[in-house]
Amino acid sequence: MKRKPIDIFRYYLRIVLLIAFSIVVAFPVLYMISSSLFSQRDFNKLRVLPTTPMWSNYIKALNHRYFSYYLVNSIGTSLLSAIIRTLVVIFASFALTHLQFRGKKLILSALVLTLFVPQEAILYQNYKTIANLGLLDSWTAIIAPGLFSAAQMLLLMGSFTAQGRDTYDAARMDGASDMRYIWSVLVPLSGPATLTIMIQTLITSFNSYLWPLLVTNKPKTRTIQIGITMLGFAESGETGAQMATLALITIPFLIILAFTKRRIENALIRR
Amino acid sequence: MKRRNESKAYLYLAPAVILAALFCWYPAIIGFVQSFLTVNASGKVLGFAGLSNYRSLFADKAFQNSLKVSLRFIVLFVPANTFVTLLAASMTRRKSRFSAIPEYVFFAPVAVSLSAYSLIMKDLFRGNASVINKITGLKMGWITEPAGAMATLVILGIFLDFGIDYILLMCAFRSSDKSVLEAARMDGAGGWRLFLQIELPLIRETTLVTIFLALKDAILISAPIIILTEGGPYRSTETVMFYYYLEAFKSGNRGVQNALSALVIVIAAIFMALYNSRRRAR
Repeated sequence: MKRKPIDIFRYYLRIVLLIAFSIVVAFPVLYMISSSLFSQRDFNKLRVLPTTPMWSNYIKALNHRYFSYYLVNSIGTSLLSAIIRTLVVIFASFALTHLQFRGKKLILSALVLTLFVPQEAILYQNYKTIANLGLLDSWTAIIAPGLFSAAQMLLLMGSFTAQGRDTYDAARMDGASDMRYIWSVLVPLSGPATLTIMIQTLITSFNSYLWPLLVTNKPKTRTIQIGITMLGFAESGETGAQMATLALITIPFLIILAFTKRRIENALIRR
Repeated sequence: MKRRNESKAYLYLAPAVILAALFCWYPAIIGFVQSFLTVNASGKVLGFAGLSNYRSLFADKAFQNSLKVSLRFIVLFVPANTFVTLLAASMTRRKSRFSAIPEYVFFAPVAVSLSAYSLIMKDLFRGNASVINKITGLKMGWITEPAGAMATLVILGIFLDFGIDYILLMCAFRSSDKSVLEAARMDGAGGWRLFLQIELPLIRETTLVTIFLALKDAILISAPIIILTEGGPYRSTETVMFYYYLEAFKSGNRGVQNALSALVIVIAAIFMALYNSRRRAR
């Protein structure tokens, strides 16, 4: 079948539009990478590409006196959040899908009710709680309010129900303990759901801004997301070093995304 | 045996219940109750206040302004965000040889943190002499003038939600029933007609989810404002939740803060209930 000229025109028009759109969407990140090599003069001259690449910006970023603290705090709190939250959610989902007990419906509704309360609206009360417990400026303060998620519990409950109770009853008959059943049967069988929860928590807590800002005051206890807004590079005429810091914490995630993109899509596309 | 099973269940649920109680039920209830009481700055209850906290909240010029700012942001952001993400998803809705590249580009914003995007935008849109003006040839003051600051905030908001909305919509397009599309094509529907009358209605549910997410983010936006504009210039980007942040953490006005917190929870609950009943109805 021969293509009509109008179809060929449409085909190329679509490609051109798609490229233009992609450039617009990628622009801020490209600018971040490019400007991480800027001298201050490049910033003042509103350049898009560096005149001569200033690799020293990266040295400055890495040598910033708090950078390593920020990074350790961020990695530590987000890993802890991901592990603890996944455990909390696994245990709750297990009890709600596999065990019989009084008040089950009530507890489930009460837990789901937390979905209706935006964290942003109770910031102050939670801040007070943390302050009263004397936990300000600690990892506990940063992670505590985010250690349970009803949305993730519902997700995992859906996956746990799908495994059915028959296997559980059989495992009990064979004398397997609950813990053994959870770790050798339930969790491996709900692998994708559990993994989704861990990765989701890892990213959201690594990227969270408002709450860590409120509960940390000492520079050494801050996370990187707060830290990068307070490096003081921009004020001292070293915007390039600030952009280099941004690039350092963003590029690893861009690389991870490139490798996991297909898997995420497969989880989302129903065939 | 049964008894042992029961106490075991409570043990498994204990962490979740304690966390939910301490960091959600308790603060929500305390905030709600205290919104009807007079509380001093150090947290001491001085007496019953009736609705006076709410009255002083609504009488506050800054709060009235923040309502207008939030409304303006919602009206600009939600349609713009929906349009742009739908556009990106529909342009890549069919898999082709090179589609993995634009797919990655459109998905990548999920990997960029809120503070990173805020700081990048702050530099790109820094004022009359800015990279954006130089590239586009525009002459806007951007974050230095009220209309420009709002525009910058909307653009920043779109980037923050772009990746997740895009991937949801794109995957919804690819999950659509192929037989319906084939049947429509057999009937001679093609191009725009096929897209508008068949393909778009097929992903209606997912589109509604992204609109709901955008609405929620628009109502609750505050963190990007702290980095980008600090509410300025002239309070032009001081949204309701940024006002809450100022009242709670800068001026320490307990009554107003509790009233606002209670209001936001009630509004959020109504939204969630509406959304859930709609989903359940299907």
